Formats: sequence, structure tokens, C-alpha cells
Amino acid sequence: MKGSMLAMNKNKVVLASFCILASAVVFSACRDKESTGLEYARNMYDPLAYNPDQPNKNFANGQTAQTPPAHTAPVGFVEDDIYPNTKEGYEAAGVNLVNTMPLTEENLLKGQHLYVVMCGPCHGEKGDGQGHLVKIEKFSGVPSFHDPEKASSRGGLMKDLTAGKIYHTIKYGVNMMGSYASQLSPDERWKVVLYVQELQKAK
Amino acid sequence: MRDISLIVRRVWKSAFMFAALSVLTVSATQAQDVVEGRKLFKDNCASCHQLTSNSTGPALTPKLTELDEAFAIKWIKNWKALVDAGDKEAIEASKFSPAEMTAFPRLTDEQIKNIIAYAKAGEPKKTDAAGAAGGASTGASDGVSDFSIAGVIAIVILSIVVLVVLGRAIKMLERLILQKQGVVLPEEESVSFAEGTRKMFKNKKFVFFFILCLIIALGSYGWMGMWNTGVHTGYQPSQPIKFSHELHAGTNQIDCQYCHAGAFKSKNATIPSANVCMNCHKSVQATEKYDGEISPEIQKIYNALGYDPATMTYDKTKEKPIEWVRVHNLPDFAYFNHSQHTVVGEEAIRKEKGLKPNEPVCFACHGPVNTMEEIYQFSPLTMKWCINCHKDTKLEVKGNAFYDKIIETHEKIKKGEKITPAALGGLECGKCHY
Repeated sequence: MKGSMLAMNKNKVVLASFCILASAVVFSACRDKESTGLEYARNMYDPLAYNPDQPNKNFANGQTAQTPPAHTAPVGFVEDDIYPNTKEGYEAAGVNLVNTMPLTEENLLKGQHLYVVMCGPCHGEKGDGQGHLVKIEKFSGVPSFHDPEKASSRGGLMKDLTAGKIYHTIKYGVNMMGSYASQLSPDERWKVVLYVQELQKAK
Repeated sequence: MRDISLIVRRVWKSAFMFAALSVLTVSATQAQDVVEGRKLFKDNCASCHQLTSNSTGPALTPKLTELDEAFAIKWIKNWKALVDAGDKEAIEASKFSPAEMTAFPRLTDEQIKNIIAYAKAGEPKKTDAAGAAGGASTGASDGVSDFSIAGVIAIVILSIVVLVVLGRAIKMLERLILQKQGVVLPEEESVSFAEGTRKMFKNKKFVFFFILCLIIALGSYGWMGMWNTGVHTGYQPSQPIKFSHELHAGTNQIDCQYCHAGAFKSKNATIPSANVCMNCHKSVQATEKYDGEISPEIQKIYNALGYDPATMTYDKTKEKPIEWVRVHNLPDFAYFNHSQHTVVGEEAIRKEKGLKPNEPVCFACHGPVNTMEEIYQFSPLTMKWCINCHKDTKLEVKGNAFYDKIIETHEKIKKGEKITPAALGGLECGKCHY
């Protein structure tokens, strides 16, 4: 077999190799967006220690990122669950929960930043319920925090909501508003409450 | 006879005109009501009610069409009084949901009638102009490099073809001229392709030239290949849900941090869990683009969560997480921390990359995400790329608590005070554990 290969016309071998090369150049010129391209040592990107987004055959559902077991919390995470997501829980939180976050400029600025990012799209940067998503009509019916007549859907005026009620609403959501518990830590929520209470005073 | 028909025609015409006019005026007055009603609806009702689907409260178009207007007005003004008075219809209606409806004693009868008119008429159809304007900005920009390479190849091939054809034509013409002059030409012996190539490869100059070309082509191909090995710039895998950053971060102006909350407080930018999608998509369903049906892409979020939009309930047993395809991926031996760059290094990075004040710091490495309909890798994320930025960027030390701490520690060292590894971040888990 090998003998016959060598005996083959040398020119033909050269010609064939040229054709292969030319096609390789042409094909490699159009890069596939779906592919990461040529890789050396792919296993460096899929480590043995498992990234959270990697498939994992050690778990029944095949994911590395598992839901934490019930009643567990990350180190340093303090969360009180004594005010459940019910009408009574809301009212109780409104009376008993106090904002222990000190009203400093730093906390207020942080609260403002988080408010603008997380709440601003609907509630508006000034708290007037006229956020960008309301203006482009993706959302509607967002109440103003400082309108002297605007009533909360759970009773009372928006501008009179207590810190505890605002905290409860951020944590569980209400009506069309979702829960922000996964996006804001308890401390961050209290900072946002600080800022919302400033907005309630606006005229 | 003719006159009669003419008169009839005239009467008919004027009657028609009158009818048309009255319809117009009626619809005009109604439109007034509807516009006013729409505004009132958006201000007062929309946080709990939608027109065509149930949310916190029942869908209003069917409800208000079915209800008696007088009853609806009483209910909206103060439904509790109706229930307390023992109105059977009111007691039945109050059972819709445990969430109590707000009473609206401030609204006048006229205003409530406007709201009812709006609810009955439904949302006015929008013209297509807005949709067309939105769609036009897609495409373009990307794929330029691929296109130009293909163009160059096409031009080269085309010019070779032209040269060959011209050469043949010249030969033919020359032969014709010679024939006309009476010169008898010997018939050109036809040479087979294989014979021709064999002859060509016997020519030493041609072989040398061919080998030279081969070396240049192979060499540059290999060189480029080596430089681009493991560089994923432009990687744009298709995702399980056609999520558009152009729409969410561009048109809707939602901040990066809203979904990628981790980028400012941890190593990872984090892919949002589906509950974050539901903050908006509980009510935003893009039904206006799909003839009243829920957008199939938004439906995929519902499927992943086992959420039933009709009953607004979740079924945990039907949960099926969305398998997003990772775009930005560093090899495991490289440590990168998002918060270190987005919080501590923000000012320095902004200045170095020349970002505008309204652009998030994320754009420095991730590129103009608010224009990417489908996300792709903008920066090479190679070691050279990291190193070059770390060589050039001027740190903004002033008013940065991170550097204050370092300066403080260094002052202590100068004074000869006791310094522990803990003061230099020696208690950070990541210093020892991977």
C-alpha cells in the first residue's frame, strides 16, 4: 500500500495537498459564531471542581447549582421570618419593624443608587410613579410616593406608609410588583427604605 | 321618472352624509371618553387590573361589559358598603381574591363611566410605524469582517476568471487575423489537463513559486490560528430563549445591575434566576405583537417555572431550569472578580476606556450591550488584554475606601506598629481556598 503511494505521481500528491490547503483556508475564513473556535486544553474551561453553571452528573437533576437546603443561610445573612406574606404579617410589620439603618449620607446615597436601579424603572427616580417603563407604557398604575391623595392598595396613603410596610413590600412584593428578596439583601432593603421615606416627604 | 330618481338619489345622499357625520361625532365624543377613561384606568386601576386577563383583580373588559353600569359605579366608589348592605352580587364579586380592592370615593360618576367606556372599547390598536422603527436598527455593524474576507476572495477569483477569458479571446483574435492574412497555422495540439499540469510541474520556476505560495499560505494560516487559539471574541451562541439585551437594556433602559445584581457585590456577575424575569413578565406578555397570544419566548419563562398565566399559580413539580449557554468563560486558573472592577476600579476604568457618564462601567469590557440583540463576546479576555489594561490604567486613589485602607496599613508599617496578615486581607477565604 505504502509502496504504491510512493510510486504515485509526485505531482498528483502536490496538487491534492494544494487543494486541501486551499479549501482549509477558505473554510477557516468564515468563522462560525456558534463555535468558540480552535481551543487548546478545553478541560481548563470545564474544571473538575465544577463551575455553578456546569452540568453535574453527581446530582439527580444534573445541575451543579443546587437549591440550598431548607432553613440554611449564608454566613452573615440575617433574615427574620416572623412577618409572613399575609395581610396580618404586613400590618404587624408596619407597626413593629423599625429601620435600624442609621440615616447617614453614605447609606442614603447607597439607598438612592439601589432605588434608581431596582425601583426606578417603574416608580420613577423622583418616586412619582412615572418611571421609564411607565412612560413607554410597558407598565401602568404605579403609585406616587408623595401624592397627597394617592391611596395604597392595602389601605392608608402612600405618603404615610411606615418603614416596616415598605420593607415588607420590598421583600414580598404586592399586586404586580414582584419580590426583591433575591436582588436586595436585608441591609440593602433597609437602605432603599431610607431613601423611599425621603421621597415620601417630597412635594 | 328621471326627476324622481334624481330626488331619491339626493335624499339618499344627504341621509347618508348625515348618518356618516353623526357616526363621526358620536365616535368622536366616545373617543374623548375613552382617552380620558384610559388615563384614569392607568392611574387608578392598572396596578391590579388588566383589560383582557386576570391579575390581582379580574379582567376588566369582560367584567365591566357584563356588569350593570349603576352597580359598577357603586362598587368602584365603595364596594364595602355594598357588601355590608348585604348585596348578593357584591358578596359574590368580593370572593374573587383575598386581596381587597381599594375604594375610590373620589372618582365621579362621569369619570367611572369613562373608565367603563375604555374597558369596553379595549386598547386602541397601535399603528405599525412604531414597530417598524424599532425593527430597523437591527443587523448591520456585525459580520463586517466575514463579509470583507468573502469579498476579497470573490474579487480575486473574479479577476482570475476575467484574465483567463481575456487571454483566450486575444489568442482567438490573433489566430483569426493570421488566418485572414493567409498564414496557415498548424492546428493547436490539444493537451489534456493532466498532461498540462505535469508539464507545469516540470518547470522549476513554477515549482519554486508554488512552494513559496504554499509556505506563505500555510505559515500565515498557522500563525493566525495560533494567535486565535482559545480566543473567543465574537462568540455568539444561540440561547434557549431569544432574550434581547437591545430591548431590555437599550429600549427599556433597565440597568445591568437589576438582573446581574452580583456584578457589584461578588466575583460573579450572576445570571438572573427566573423570578427576576417574573418581576416584569408577570404582566408584560407582549400579547399585542402576537395577536393576543402570549409571546412564545415569554411563555418559555413560564414553562421553566411551571407557571400558569391563566390561574397565576406556580407548579413546583413542572419546574425545568433554563439552560443558558455561557458566553464569557475564563479558564479555571485565571481568577477574575467583578466587584473589584465595578466598585473599586470603576472611576479608573471609566477614565481609561473613555466611557460616557450615562454608560455603565460594564461597557468597558462587555461592549455596547444595549445594542446587542443577541449577546456576544466583545473583548478577547486574553491574558495580554488584561495585562495591557493593568499596565496603562491610572488608579483613582482619592476618595476610594479600598486604597485608604492600604495607605493606612502602610503608614502603620512605617511607624513600626504591629501588622497582622489579617490587616492585608489574609482572612479572605479565596487567599487559600479555591
